[in-house]
Amino acid sequence: MSLSNLIDDWSRYRKGREEGGFHDYEHMWGMSIDLNKCIGCNACSVACYAENNLAVVGKEKFEKGQGMHWLRVERYWDEPDLGEERTSEFQQHGASFLPMMCQQCNAATCEPVCPVAATYHTPDGLNAQVYNRCIGSRYCSNNCPFRLRYFNFWSYYEDSWPAPLQMQLNPDISVRDMGVMEKCTFCVQRIRTVKDTARMEDRKVRDGEVQTACSQTCPTGAIEFGDMLGMYDPETGVAETRVTKMWRKHQVELGKTKQNKQTPEMRGYRVFEFLNTDPCVMYLDRVREV
Amino acid sequence: MSFSKIKRRDFLKIMGWGGVGATLVGCDLPTTVTLEEGKEKVVSYLMPEEYVIPGVGVWYASTCQQCPSGCGIHGRVREGRVLKLEGNPASSVNKGRLCQMGQASLQAHYNPDRIAKPKIRRGSSLVDATWEEAYGLIAEKTANISGSKFAWMTGSVSGHQSVLLQAYLESIGSGNHFVHETINNAVWAKVCQDMLGDSNPRIRLDKAQSMLSFGADFLGTWGSPLHFSTEYAKFRTSPRGTLIQVEPNMTLTGANADLWVASRPGSEGALALGIANQLVSKQGLSMSGLPNSVQSLIRSYTLDETVTATGVDADRIADIAATLKRRSPSVVLAGASAQGHEHGYQCVAAAMVLNVILGNIGKTIESNGEFAYASMAPVSGNTHSLVSFSQAAADKRFDVVFFSGVNPVYTAPKSLGLKESLANIPFKVVFSHFNDETTAMADVVLPLASTEEDWGTHVAPYQAGVGEISIQQPLMEPLSTETRGFGDIVLTLLKKRKETAYEGFADYYAYLRNAFSTIPAEHKNGASDEQFWTDVLAAGLIDVGVKKTSLKVKGVEFDMPKEMGNSSAMILAPSARLGFWDGRHANLPWLQEAPDQISKVVWDSWAELHPSTAKKIGVKEGDMVKIASASGEINVKVYIYKGVHPDVIAVPLGQGHDAGFSRYAKDRGVNSLSILDPKVDKMTGELALYSTNVKVTKAAKTDDVLVRFGGSETQVGRKLVSTIPADVYERTEGGDHVA
Amino acid sequence: MQNNEVYKDINEDLKWAQINKDVLKSMENPRKGYWISVAVCLFLISFAVVGEVYQYNVGMGAANLNWPHMWDLYIATFIFWIGMSHAGTLLSAILHIMNADWRKPIYRFAEAMTTFSLMTAGLFPMIHLGRLWNMYWVLPYLTDRGIWPNFRSPLVWDAFAISTYLTSSALFLFIGMIPDLAICRDNARGWRKKLYTALSLGWRGDDRQWRNFRRTYLIMACFLIPLAVSVHSIVSSDFAMSIMPGWAVTSFPPYFVAGALYSGCAAIITLFILLRYYFRWEEYMTIAILEKTAKLTFAIAMVWTYLNLIEFASVWYGHSAADKEVLLAKFFGPYAPFFWGMIFCGSVVPFALAFEKLRRHLPTMMVVSILLNLGMWLERWMIVTPTLSLSYHPIAHDVMWPSWVQWFIVAGSFGWFGLLFLVFVKVFPSVSMYECKEMVLHRRELANKEISPVMANNPGGGAPATGVSSKSPGVEGS
Repeated sequence: MSLSNLIDDWSRYRKGREEGGFHDYEHMWGMSIDLNKCIGCNACSVACYAENNLAVVGKEKFEKGQGMHWLRVERYWDEPDLGEERTSEFQQHGASFLPMMCQQCNAATCEPVCPVAATYHTPDGLNAQVYNRCIGSRYCSNNCPFRLRYFNFWSYYEDSWPAPLQMQLNPDISVRDMGVMEKCTFCVQRIRTVKDTARMEDRKVRDGEVQTACSQTCPTGAIEFGDMLGMYDPETGVAETRVTKMWRKHQVELGKTKQNKQTPEMRGYRVFEFLNTDPCVMYLDRVREV
Repeated sequence: MSFSKIKRRDFLKIMGWGGVGATLVGCDLPTTVTLEEGKEKVVSYLMPEEYVIPGVGVWYASTCQQCPSGCGIHGRVREGRVLKLEGNPASSVNKGRLCQMGQASLQAHYNPDRIAKPKIRRGSSLVDATWEEAYGLIAEKTANISGSKFAWMTGSVSGHQSVLLQAYLESIGSGNHFVHETINNAVWAKVCQDMLGDSNPRIRLDKAQSMLSFGADFLGTWGSPLHFSTEYAKFRTSPRGTLIQVEPNMTLTGANADLWVASRPGSEGALALGIANQLVSKQGLSMSGLPNSVQSLIRSYTLDETVTATGVDADRIADIAATLKRRSPSVVLAGASAQGHEHGYQCVAAAMVLNVILGNIGKTIESNGEFAYASMAPVSGNTHSLVSFSQAAADKRFDVVFFSGVNPVYTAPKSLGLKESLANIPFKVVFSHFNDETTAMADVVLPLASTEEDWGTHVAPYQAGVGEISIQQPLMEPLSTETRGFGDIVLTLLKKRKETAYEGFADYYAYLRNAFSTIPAEHKNGASDEQFWTDVLAAGLIDVGVKKTSLKVKGVEFDMPKEMGNSSAMILAPSARLGFWDGRHANLPWLQEAPDQISKVVWDSWAELHPSTAKKIGVKEGDMVKIASASGEINVKVYIYKGVHPDVIAVPLGQGHDAGFSRYAKDRGVNSLSILDPKVDKMTGELALYSTNVKVTKAAKTDDVLVRFGGSETQVGRKLVSTIPADVYERTEGGDHVA
Repeated sequence: MQNNEVYKDINEDLKWAQINKDVLKSMENPRKGYWISVAVCLFLISFAVVGEVYQYNVGMGAANLNWPHMWDLYIATFIFWIGMSHAGTLLSAILHIMNADWRKPIYRFAEAMTTFSLMTAGLFPMIHLGRLWNMYWVLPYLTDRGIWPNFRSPLVWDAFAISTYLTSSALFLFIGMIPDLAICRDNARGWRKKLYTALSLGWRGDDRQWRNFRRTYLIMACFLIPLAVSVHSIVSSDFAMSIMPGWAVTSFPPYFVAGALYSGCAAIITLFILLRYYFRWEEYMTIAILEKTAKLTFAIAMVWTYLNLIEFASVWYGHSAADKEVLLAKFFGPYAPFFWGMIFCGSVVPFALAFEKLRRHLPTMMVVSILLNLGMWLERWMIVTPTLSLSYHPIAHDVMWPSWVQWFIVAGSFGWFGLLFLVFVKVFPSVSMYECKEMVLHRRELANKEISPVMANNPGGGAPATGVSSKSPGVEGS
């Protein structure tokens, strides 16, 4: 870091503070996950394993809680003290499924605590994890309220991919070794590829051009992925992406601790919004006929 | 794989010269031949092969073979290796989506436990052999065989493989083709055939406003799960459909239901008739068009009668009927847990009667049309074939049997005695990827090329009104030089039988290529032959259309047994999951590590119990229970939750494989199919999977623990998943939905 | 001994030569008991080495760490040792400034304890790293990496604070020892002579040296006090700066400092009794001084208890469900035995110090001091782990117990600390000779007794002119 860098960073920071918004960002990748559509089938999770070289740790290590599922599908049963459920003999409204990947918070709690700046915010609005820089203090994971950071407690490359399984490994991203933290990257390698292609073709990235592995494979299309800053489409003349449309429709805004919804019943919400981490993933309420 | 026989360049092409693969494999490179010795010429990816751009992934279309649904896929190929699968957006089956089994297909392809060489039985063990030896032996054994002594057992099969397979059976003069799938819709198909005149009607979830499903896990295992998942998304967008699921233990579909009703297995038919009675008596719907006997049957299922027969609340039954009427059009489906009884046909038929009464036929249940090329049409498997094959084997009717795409030794209940009666078959040939239970009993093992290495054409059994032939093409060079494609093997076998018609084809590719040259011109859109073939490969499929048909409601008489066996005994529910399917995917580490959708168990089998039952037996989560049926017993750990009927113990399928199958499935869990009673549905002959009475007792705990994902079963009051009522959703989002 | 004698901090009739003799005797060739102690320490260290080598090779999974228990005993023990280091500063710097001269016979080993517990504590952040070999990346050194550490991270502050504190406290220990080292120099032979000559920096004991020495010592003391307070405040920010329930507590800095002083005082009592017993230093480590230390400990224990209650109250009135859950889990959950153990050891046991009879009974004090330290260690564990077990996200609610590797390394840290301390007491005077002489001088003044000229001139100088035989002190060079 040179002095001029420091000064540049400072002025960028000042500008951001004074003017607000995300104008310094090239993109602001975000998601919208519709829990009305999510069926909890796990396709997204396995697609993530396939795309991101996630280690299979085996039963013993999974039991210890050392699984590496960047995208986990959580399943909750309705709580017994919620009105009618109290006396119910059965789970009569089914289950609640919640696919959880790194929420790519804009005020990420993991970032300030890393002693070596191995996790930081990119100009793409991503919460990046630099494996090479990580020394494994694991502070970031402790400070993640969503518990979405996974640590390489062991060395997995020998056990997880016995030959020829290792040939499936995606060469676009690394296989992490023992002692580093890892987490969902919003398929940064796919974003990279698309951005490079767009640059080579001297154009801007189009909406829908980047698909994360999970949103691509989701059987019900519950996961929408796109640029929160909007993308100008010369054909339609609209600067909205599918994701910004969803966020606008459900009246959820980035950068707010408390959403001031005009229609409070709109379904959008962010998990643990009160913690003010400003996640880039919006969930839409599950719907049930009561 | 013998390194001395393959050229270095081929080797590098397979291995991918670059990226992680090369580094990891690097240490395995043969050191006997070096550049310094001048024996080899190394060509790096600086001078890549044609069509290969190092570092750039290219997507090729193919077809998924993980379950019989036949989804179109795109495989990402980089430096000669296939790295990732995605759905093919052009495919009408899955519309670009892919389930976890499809994703994990790569691990079947790259599996470390794949069979790499043909094997021939010498004494008690299988030893490596050459293809010539294997073919020679098969030719010798089948030389003078009479057609009735030969049989071929397959999984669901379609397309040109089906054509060749039939040709081979014909060349022997045999009609013994057994098509077996444990997870099937055979009873539903039979009822549809009988009542609607079409065994495979189209279900319009997108049009339906409400859905009543008797154990049809259409999001997981029923019909074409991915297709129905995409349709389900439409069903749930405004105006949002209501899903009511009736089943003994919660399936993936049940977990997404607005109302989940636990039913004692076997009572589904009674419940359907009770709802029909309500629809007629309270909701004013007509049941004209139904045979008189059925009408009186419905009349006999008054509310009180139904409550007694099913144990479901009267209010609830009336409610369901009212909802179905109010939210019209509706659709009523029936699946595994409804059909798995000795009166399974009646249960499904009763569900179909509801469709008739509700007037759904023609609205939400339409004709799918008929696939134009009968010889390529999909042949769907069932369990009736397993039962009759077991009987025939026990009767020593066969001398030579081929197995492909099935693992009957695993899927057949022990009570059928299949494993023992296989000894009566002198010569068993198994086409296989893995050393599964059936392969282990083979006399000749023919190692198959994986889905990602093989050619083929597939016709999906359930297509929404289209007739697509989906292409399966190799996404990479075979990992082993000693595996062969299914089509290639059958073609060779045909040639060995001196079938002159096939002499002209060098291999299966040539056969397919030729088949597409000879396709009627109307499908080619005026393209040249070469162009057409390229287009088909690029698209991954070609729609050849369907013959339009229409549904005709026919009155079918059936009765409903009032007495349903010993009503106090526990019933075993061998429920199936999107994941291990019928156990065939237990060797895929991704799927072993993916927590089960409902119980979140990993790497294991488990038994689902209702809390009240668990209390009665005196077990807590993770405790071991002994489940004993008349045909055997299994010990399994329990998971306790409120998504299972108190009279039911559900043990999902998948685990309990023999040690030889896979390092990943070794010593894991139990196979709940193994202890089923040999009961069959009396009308169709299908195995009655949900009708085995069992005794459940607490067993001694072992060191082996039940590993589940997740520290909490509830949200402990935190707003992680919040739920709103459907009417609020309709008010705020009705009509202007963002697609 | 007369009855009023036992209430004296030091016997004012003590001869200076006797002081020299008694202290220098402690540096004589060790006896059997010493070697046994060294062997025990080495044995404990070997445990840690086995654990660490294994963990280094296979990964942090060996410690049974998991998601969400990314931290466990290593961090708890780290805080424990950091805490212990505060006692030396308290005794030597704070009490020095406050002119409490009863500290004089015991501050030296307390300062040594500070340095060595810091040296022990400093190992833990390294041991706990997933990639130990990159540990120096937290330091702001200029390299071609082109990146500084992240100055926003409390872990980086930790690195600064600990290294600064270690340097300063080692320097403070050394400076305070210079006059005594000169005495050693004058009485030593062989390698010891060379060592003490080098270390005593040419101390002759003239007026200018004494003046400069006093000034330096005072400045160092003033510098060290805020440093010590900030170090543990910074360690507390590892938790207080997070957003986790049970960690993000505003009162953590004073709470941690109080806990630190508490455990340090308890450790001083333990070592006090051991040294008194082993070196027969009844004349210096008197019951009266022990009593004063015990009273101080009792006062700090009450402060700590109060801050504990404040924390509970703030959680209770805070209306944060997650915070409450963590607190209730501490009270009634799987960690309850350890939590109540901590409350018992930390808030109940110190009441023993309120009774004069118990304060003056050495075996009781030994047991009490060890219990207090156990309580303080449990406190650190109960801060780190329950929060990880029960944080915001219920999917990550989990209970995990440390594996043998962690226990081995924790046990080894006590061996390591013990070994350092054992080496210290044989190489350096662990009672400050010159300050004891000052103290005697002072007490004599108070008692209106005669002050000999030798005493008046040179309390820290070389060999005293009178009252010592040529045989002693027998510090042997080999």
